Amino acid sequence: MRTMNYVLSGLGGQGILFMTKIFATTALNKGYNILGAETHGMAQRGGSVVSHLRIGDAASSLIRAGAADFLISMDESEAYRHLPYLKKGGKLFANASSDAFPDERVAGYLDKMQIEPYAMEAGKTAMELGSPRSTNLAMIAFYSAFEVGPLSADDLRGTVDNISPGPFKEKNLKIFDTCHDVGRKIISGDIYGTF
Amino acid sequence: MKEEFLLGNGAMALGLLEAGCQIMTSYPGTPSSEILPEMVRFSKAANLNTGIEWSVNEKVAFDNAFAAAISGKRAACCMKMVGLNVAADSFMSAAYIGNIGGFVIISCDDPGPHSSQTEQDSRMMARLGKVPVFDPASPEEAREMIKAAFDLSEEFQVPVLVRPAIRICHARQNIKYDRLESNMTKAEFKREPSRWASTPKFRFMQHKALNEKHVQIAEKFSTLTPYNIHNLAKGKHYPFGIVTGGVPSSVVRDLFEEYERDDIPVLKLGAPYPFPEKLSDEFMDACDKVLVIEETDTVIEYMLRDKHKTLGRLSSHVPMEGELLPEKIEVMLNKALLDCALDPLSGSDCGMEAFGLVGSLELPIRKPTLCPGCPHRASFYSIRKALPKAIFPSDIGCYTLGINLGVVDTVLDMGAGITMASGFWNAYIQDDVKKPIVATMGDSTFFHSGTTGLINAVYNDARFILVILDNHITAMTGMQPAITQGDRVDGRKGNAISLETIVKGCGVEYLKVVDPYDTRHMIKVVKEAAEHVNDPDGGVAVVIARHPCVIAFKDEAIPEKFEIEISDECDDCGFCHLRFECPAMVRNEETEKTEINPVLCAQCGVCLTICPKDAIETV
Ligand code: SF4
Ligand code: SF4
Repeated sequence: MRTMNYVLSGLGGQGILFMTKIFATTALNKGYNILGAETHGMAQRGGSVVSHLRIGDAASSLIRAGAADFLISMDESEAYRHLPYLKKGGKLFANASSDAFPDERVAGYLDKMQIEPYAMEAGKTAMELGSPRSTNLAMIAFYSAFEVGPLSADDLRGTVDNISPGPFKEKNLKIFDTCHDVGRKIISGDIYGTF
Repeated sequence: MKEEFLLGNGAMALGLLEAGCQIMTSYPGTPSSEILPEMVRFSKAANLNTGIEWSVNEKVAFDNAFAAAISGKRAACCMKMVGLNVAADSFMSAAYIGNIGGFVIISCDDPGPHSSQTEQDSRMMARLGKVPVFDPASPEEAREMIKAAFDLSEEFQVPVLVRPAIRICHARQNIKYDRLESNMTKAEFKREPSRWASTPKFRFMQHKALNEKHVQIAEKFSTLTPYNIHNLAKGKHYPFGIVTGGVPSSVVRDLFEEYERDDIPVLKLGAPYPFPEKLSDEFMDACDKVLVIEETDTVIEYMLRDKHKTLGRLSSHVPMEGELLPEKIEVMLNKALLDCALDPLSGSDCGMEAFGLVGSLELPIRKPTLCPGCPHRASFYSIRKALPKAIFPSDIGCYTLGINLGVVDTVLDMGAGITMASGFWNAYIQDDVKKPIVATMGDSTFFHSGTTGLINAVYNDARFILVILDNHITAMTGMQPAITQGDRVDGRKGNAISLETIVKGCGVEYLKVVDPYDTRHMIKVVKEAAEHVNDPDGGVAVVIARHPCVIAFKDEAIPEKFEIEISDECDDCGFCHLRFECPAMVRNEETEKTEINPVLCAQCGVCLTICPKDAIETV
């Protein structure tokens, strides 16, 4: 398999390391090699945080600008900030309201680069389901609905199931299933989430 | 056999234990901080008897480990690269004296810089201290190099430096490992004062012996595969080649694989000092031009010497500062190849257009801030309220972020909050000006490098207020236990050291302890302290602002919770979200009033006293 490159972005405190862990554990269980790069230290105090994850046989942990297959962002501005990492034909998933996404100023660029943008209000949905801090989980589930890349929705859901501690398991799976469904509905055209 | 998705720092911890490291010491600092806790984790899981400690500072850590090594044990210490400056005094002597058991120093570099004051290259320190150095290209290689470093250190009886850059420390990789075994070598210090306590005359002899070792090690490094290696075809001549090492060597590998450029030979120097002359001569002879891609300084580039052949920082092909991100490396490779009339790797603009576009979006600038509920915010607020015109020397830790509240004027190095306060006093008092000065420093920094400065200030009668921000933890670097609590890295109890005792022991007469959450009281105390400072019979005044970190101690840190709301009195002055800067306070663009973000609010209640319009209330 060619190396698949994931850029995950968000704000300090949104749980990006946990998000990375879900992807990585899933990939590990499938027998892939993985290499990742994380933000620690000063930036974790509310700054913009990013995590690079490379599934396959890469040598360096950082993804080059223009080389990411997927950009999954827990914050709309942070999605734009990391846009340069997406390659031509890459896919963008953002926690944003689909009515106003993507910002018209980047639409032309996305078009030219054949980047498909998908948005859902992951933070809001997580909040409604009683887990305001689970935007990370919501975004993984949303992404999983599109079945792109080497990790299937079942694989990812299985990891969430396995690593959620007892009292959180049910809630986490509920978030996963709800947000996965949102993605499915976008694909089937039932709701609007892309352009 | 187990497999884990390990942080580079975890991979190194594993390498240390696999190498039979018996004594390990450190002082936390990004990006090195996780090595020690990971070592504790592996050591406990395998029931090893490894001696692991957080030391009070890096020099203490160094000396501690060094003594174990000259007693015949395998020992190591680790730190961030500026920590090696703190240990530099020991580091410079250690290679002369040498060791018996393997002695490895891990100094983690931070090109960028992401979380440091400088971008210094520890390989330069290695040269200065005449210490052989390894420069890993991946977490897995860092793990292996540590073992090679121990072997080398024992073979030649010299300390060996391993310098992983931040992209090694904070990379993650799936790593397999087997059962770990304890190294049972017993301590046996053989007295030999002429070596371990040698006088200058003997130092000259030791220096000579060290230089002779270096010749042999350089020889060895010329054949040290896979760390030092090139892929020249025999007898072939090339118009262009790459010399690289460490993190950039991995990027180069990925790029050449992706663009299928096996026409360009690469010399990788993962052990660049003592410089492997033979190997590099071979490479230079086979190439018309070479581009040197190394982080962060010009260690290899200088050693190659032939400036007519060598492209790199000195020829402006490689930037002099900043991290060598993969896209930057692609750009510089393209340019160098074109300059040598060869095909570039790609016609890619390496994201330049997109970065330009992103720049034009004016995205919110996300500067790091103190957490909601952070006791430091309360302290800074009170300090500024009490003495708005003071100079505010500060120091290194979460509280450096007090810069956002306008209460951090200087940050030089660990401990300079106090020493620079003395310096400011001296500079002004010479002109007969009694300048108010309030220094701030965290508890961990105070133990690390604060006491000498404080003793000096008392001794020389400098006058300033020192606020020690005591939050029971070393927060910024990832919540290491505090000396004031007496907890040790492996969970065992040590002996708690009382800040009050130390401060008094430094000769300070005015000492008050406050809870910064009570801002009214703290403002009063800081004003009182200022009176003591100005009193002819007064002196340095110390205020300990004691309140646990809200992240480390959670609910325990906020015994009384307040649900906050903003009343209609709010006139949009912005003081609370701009100056007091609590991230839980946000301006509602529609109502033009402040609002509380309930997800972020820690319900500390500190804001209740700060609003100039008294618009902040409990529900
Ligand atoms: S981690 Fe603790 S000390 Fe650091 S900013 Fe947050 S509350 Fe303050
Ligand atoms: S809004 Fe007030 S109560 Fe909430 S965290 Fe900030 S200062 Fe504390």
